[in-house]
This record gives sequence, structure tokens and C-alpha cells, in this order.
Amino acid sequence: MKLPNLLAASAIALSAGAMSAQADKADDTLRLAFTKELETVDIYFNSAREGILLARAIWDGLLYRDPVTGEYKGNLATEWKWIDDVTLELKLREGVTFHNGEPFNADDVVYTVNYVANPDNGIVVQRNVSWMDRAEKVDDYTVRIILDAPFPPAEEFLAGPVVMYPNEYYAEVGPAGMALNPIGTGPYKVSSVDPGLHYELEAFDGYHGDPRNAASIGKIDIRTIPDFNTQIAEFFNGQLDFLWNVPADQAEKLDAMGKYQVENAEAIRIGFISMDASGRADADGPMTNPLVRKAVAHAIDRQAIVDALVKGSSEVVHSACAKIQFACEQDVAQYEYNPEKAKALLAEAGYPDGFEIDFHAYRNRPYAEAMMGFLDEVGIKTNLVYLKYSALRDARSKGEVPFTFQTWGSYSLADASAIVGEHFTGGMLDDAKDAEVTAWVNEADSTTDKDKRIGLYSKALKKIADEAYWLPLWSYNVNYVMSQEVSYAPTNDEIVRFFDFSWK
Amino acid sequence: MTDTSSTNIPISPRQAMIRRALRHKGLIFGTVVMAVVILIAIFAPLLTEYDPYKQNLLTRMKPPVLLGGDPDHWLGTDALGRDYWARLAYGARVSLTIGIVAAVISATIGCTLGILAGYFGGRVDAVVTFLINVRLAMPVVLVALAVVALLGGSLIVVISVLGLLLWDRFAVVLRSATMQVRSLEYIAAAEVLGASLPRILVKDILPNVMNHLIVIFTLEMAHAIILEAALSFLGLGVQPPTPSWGLMISEGKEMLLFESWLITIPGVALFFLVLAINMMGDGIRDVTAPEGRN
Repeated sequence: MKLPNLLAASAIALSAGAMSAQADKADDTLRLAFTKELETVDIYFNSAREGILLARAIWDGLLYRDPVTGEYKGNLATEWKWIDDVTLELKLREGVTFHNGEPFNADDVVYTVNYVANPDNGIVVQRNVSWMDRAEKVDDYTVRIILDAPFPPAEEFLAGPVVMYPNEYYAEVGPAGMALNPIGTGPYKVSSVDPGLHYELEAFDGYHGDPRNAASIGKIDIRTIPDFNTQIAEFFNGQLDFLWNVPADQAEKLDAMGKYQVENAEAIRIGFISMDASGRADADGPMTNPLVRKAVAHAIDRQAIVDALVKGSSEVVHSACAKIQFACEQDVAQYEYNPEKAKALLAEAGYPDGFEIDFHAYRNRPYAEAMMGFLDEVGIKTNLVYLKYSALRDARSKGEVPFTFQTWGSYSLADASAIVGEHFTGGMLDDAKDAEVTAWVNEADSTTDKDKRIGLYSKALKKIADEAYWLPLWSYNVNYVMSQEVSYAPTNDEIVRFFDFSWK
Repeated sequence: MTDTSSTNIPISPRQAMIRRALRHKGLIFGTVVMAVVILIAIFAPLLTEYDPYKQNLLTRMKPPVLLGGDPDHWLGTDALGRDYWARLAYGARVSLTIGIVAAVISATIGCTLGILAGYFGGRVDAVVTFLINVRLAMPVVLVALAVVALLGGSLIVVISVLGLLLWDRFAVVLRSATMQVRSLEYIAAAEVLGASLPRILVKDILPNVMNHLIVIFTLEMAHAIILEAALSFLGLGVQPPTPSWGLMISEGKEMLLFESWLITIPGVALFFLVLAINMMGDGIRDVTAPEGRN
């Protein structure tokens, strides 16, 4: 037996022994890990995927989108109808209580909507809430949400990031209190929070159970373990039951062991390179030149990176959105891998010998390094600046980042506005600052005419591609690895729904 | 017939030192390993046909030949398909450059301060002692991390930061050594004969504290190499795609549980280089000042 095989066999044998010693099914606790430290559990004050996972367990939205059929169903609202283009009336579910016993009614909806829609309260992702102007109470179980302007994907947002908070509790404790002791109506209530480190959830007996399932597994134990090797080691030892976002290479190795369940599912998330076209970071910088941006696009062999590193169900994308999102135009300019053309474009742009530039990234370092290798071949020398997401987002918001590898999960919203609206409407993350694109996107997001929306997004996405403001890279996929005791069917929206887990 | 040559013919101190050196296993081991690493670093382009920066995603993570890999890449390839031997060989240049240049900068600062403090004493000594205390109060790794995070990681930044942080041991040791030498009669004689101050410091004192300097130099060189590896491992040292052993360990750690050779190879190289430098330092101390052995 060769040495690596011997070591692997030993590891498997040891892990098998350890697993039998720690049967988590016995104590009805599903154990998993977060890689990133979550800034706060309050979903309106974080923008991390980990926050979304917790939010979907702790809180409810007014609506719910079935991840399999895409159908919108009532959640905290049972019926809803548009009174006019900017007024949505909702009948609320009766008999629902928050985890602290506070009854849910129209006052909670009015308070939550009015709180998050107020820009002074500093909700982190304004795009998720800025489309609402206010809410008005009609009676105890009827509310109206008034929009600033027609907003076609309103239902998508009400089924996603807009969750309902208990008005009395939140007014008393605020975001800081909610971060330490979150209270919602969701299928899991929080039994303890050690901020950024450890979260314990337990099934909420009083959950209304429609349309989402009540929790099957009694407890969820989540620890932050930044190093993925440590996560795998703990998984081998039976101290974790579930791994998510497993890098492709490790997932393949774990699958080859034949001891664990390995699932791959698509994600709405796409990767992209954003370039400082508007000159925020450097008014005379190379990225302000469209020829340079196109050279970057031709320099990187995205298909090779997908095949070798990203793997799974991922594919190269050319448009600045995920293919399954509504109005995501696919007929846009495409930049094939052609390093000679990239060099010619650089020479034409006045950089015959290339140039040197900082390249910021926050995840998937091997992908970033592979792109750096391709850029180096055409003369673009990059200095990798690898930061935590919050630090990089802050730097981007200040316009200090000329060239960056980013990803965007669109909050798992199946509408192009969730990504294009966030990045091309003149906001802090908009590196292009193209007034024409901004106008088209804003108009698209304020009309209920679907064909008109498609047309406007088409124009915007074509121009984004023509000007190479972004280099869209690839769609993401997610690898999930589970112990044999766990039953879970991942969905194609990168959301881990704890209430869908059960023991075999 | 009895051979009396070895007992009857007196040998010079230099010959005695060479004899001690040739009998010192640690010094021989350290010198041989160092020589090998230096030769690899110098002749890296002749030792491999591969460009350490050239990635090939089609041939990624090929194991070394000993583990059943491709003979074209006898030490395998990394996660981006770059030849591991090429990166190791060119990485030796980075490690040695950082170690030597950082130690030279440190030695220049530390020697100057130490010799001046030891020779003049008084206020000069008080000022230098204060500077040494200030430096010793700063945790090297934390300060290096903070400065590199602030200025950004690059070869020049890492060398400069380490060079400016590792001079304290030179100053402490050379201050004490100079104080001892300063009180010897030949220094007084040189002063009486009217020798200039630079001549006394450079010609009379420096050669007599040189053995201390060489030993500290080797220790700090090893220290700088380890610190660079630590900074690179944390993503704050030499930046990719530069082939650095610390960076290779950092890049290989993703596959630690499945392709452990990715970190074992640069880890072992780093271990032997640092061990060799330290054994060389110990050996030089033993050979040049045998009375100080313990």
C-alpha cells in the first residue's frame, strides 16, 4: 500500500471510530460550521451568506418562494393583492407568536417596514428595502405597503430578505439587542449567541408550520471555524455533521472515500471582476480605459478555470447576472480567451509593456491566483490584496479599489435587479457610474410591464458588456457534504434551510 | 617507529581552528546544507526547465514521483499546475535573499550601535541601551504584521521591516563584547600611538568581536527566514505568484488532509535550511571561541 493511501485509510478508520462514538442523531443536534465570522445576527445589518442562513431559520417573511417550483406562497401573510402600482395590501396570518411570546400582527409589519425603509437607520443593503416607502395598518391583520415607485420584484424581496421583527421588542433592544438575543417567528429560536463564534438554535414548538415545514431536528449547533481543514478534520471526528461550500478538490476527495454523502447544487451567485471605469480609485488609472478593460477580458481563460478549479455545475457567464434571474439578457458581447488580442489592446491603449495594479479579493484565493497568472502573461502585473469581506466592501464603498475579484449571491433572489440594481445604479459599489445604465435600470425597476423591464435590462446589460465595466466570470456551485445519518436535499439557491433537515 | 610529527610540531591558531572545524559535525552538516541551498538558488535556471510562474491548469496537483507522479515533474505540481521543484528552487532565492539582506541591515544597525555604546560608554551607552529597551519592548511578529498590513506585502517591504526589527541582539552582544575588548591593553596602545577613532573601531575592535557578529548573523538570518515564512503563511509576506517557501506552505494548506506533500516539501526544505544555518552558527562559535562551548 502506498504511503498516501495508508494515511488516508488510517484517517478513515480513525474517523469511523470517532463517528460511532459521537452519534449526533442520539442527542438530536445537527452540528455545522461557518467559515466567516458573522458581524451581527441582525439580518438588516449584515450582508453575509451566513446571516441569510440564520435569518431563514429564525425569522419569517410575509411571503415565501418555493425553492423547487419558484411559486410564491403566503407565509406571515396569507393573501396579498395590488391595490395599484405602488400599493400592496396583505392579509396577515392570525395566531402567530414570536419566540418571546409577543403576538404577531399588523403593528409588527408596520414597525418593521417603516424602520428598515428609513435610510437614517442605516440598513446595510439598501437595495433590499429602499423600494418600500412605508407601511400602513388597515386593521390588526391587514396592512398596506406603499412603494416609492412601481417595483416589479417586490414579491421576491418580501419572500427573501425582508423579514418581520417584533415591534415592541425591537423598539426596546434595537439592533444591538437583536444581535445578542434574536427574536423571530421562524421554525428555530435562538438559545444562545456568542457573537461571531457560536450559535445554538432549537426548534420552536409554537411555529405555525405553513408553508415551511416545522423543524424536524431539535437543535442546530453552529460554530465559526475559519480553517476549512479544521472543519474537515472535525467532520472526520464526528464533531460536525454537515459541511457546506466545500471546495471542489476537497469535495472530490471526500466523495472518493465513499463514506459520506456529497451533493453538488447550482447557486445564483456569480463571480465577476469589477474595474474602476469611473476613476474613483485613480482618475487616470488604466481601468478607466475601455481598451484595457477589454484586454483584461481577453486575457483570462475563464473556461480553463471553471474546468480545473470551480468544477461542478458551474459555467462561464458573459452577462452581469445569473442566467436563472428574470431579465438576465444573455445576448451580450462575449470576450473569448485570446492573450495576443489582449496584448494588442493593451498596446493600443498605451500600455505596450503592460502595467502594475493592486488586485483585491476576499474569497477563492486559488481562483484569484489563477487569474493573476493569466494577467501576468499579457503584461498586467497584479499585487494581490486579500482582505476579509467586510474590509473589502468598506474599501470599495470608499472608492479605493481599482480592480477586484468579487462574487454576488443576489440574496438568492431570482431577479436581475438583485445584482444589477445593487451595482449599477450609482451606489457605493458602482464602479462604472454610467448615467445611461443607471437610468435604464432605475426605469426597469419602476415599471410593472415585464416586456419593458426585459427590454431595459437588455440595453443595460449589453452596454455593461460592451464597455466591459465588469468581466463576468462564472456561475457558482455549492458542494455539500453530509454524514450518513443526515437527510437533506440542497436547493439551487445557495440557502441551507435547517428546517428541511432530518435524521435518516 | 613512532610518528611524532603531530605532537612535536607546533601548529598555528589558524591551523588549530581549521582542525576543530573539520572535526565539528554540526558545522560540516550546516555548511554542506547551506552550500547546497545556495547552489540551488544560484543555479535554479539550470536545474529546471520550468518557469516557476508558469501555470498549467491541465496538470495541477500532480504528486511527486515517489508518490506515483509524473517523471516530468519529479516533485509534482501545485494547485495551479506550476512545477513544484521549480518553485522550490526559485523559492530558495527568496528565502536566502530575505535572510541575508535582512540580517545585513540588522547587523549594520546593531553593530554600529553596539560598538559605539561599548566603546564610548556614558551617555552614548545610555542612549543605545534605551533604544535597545524600546526595541525589545516591541513584539517582533506583531509589529511586522502591523507594518506589512499597513504598507502591503512585498519582498522589499518584508526585508526592510525584518531588517529594522532584528538588530537588537547584534547591539546587545556587540556592546558587551566591545566593552571587554575596549579595556584590553592593545586598544590603549593604539590610542596612545595616535590611531584615529575609525581605525581603532574598524581595525582593532571589529576583528576581535567578529566571531560574535558571525554567530548572531546566522541566528538572525534563520530568524528572518522563519518570520518571512510566517508572514507569507498568514498572507502578509511575499505576495503570490512569487515563489516563497512560506507562501508554498500557505497555498498547500488547503489540501493539507488529502495532498499533504504540498506542505511537506517546502516545510522540510525550510526546516533543513533553518537547522543548517543554526548549526553553522553554533559550529562557528565553537570553532572560533572553543572556551565558550558548553
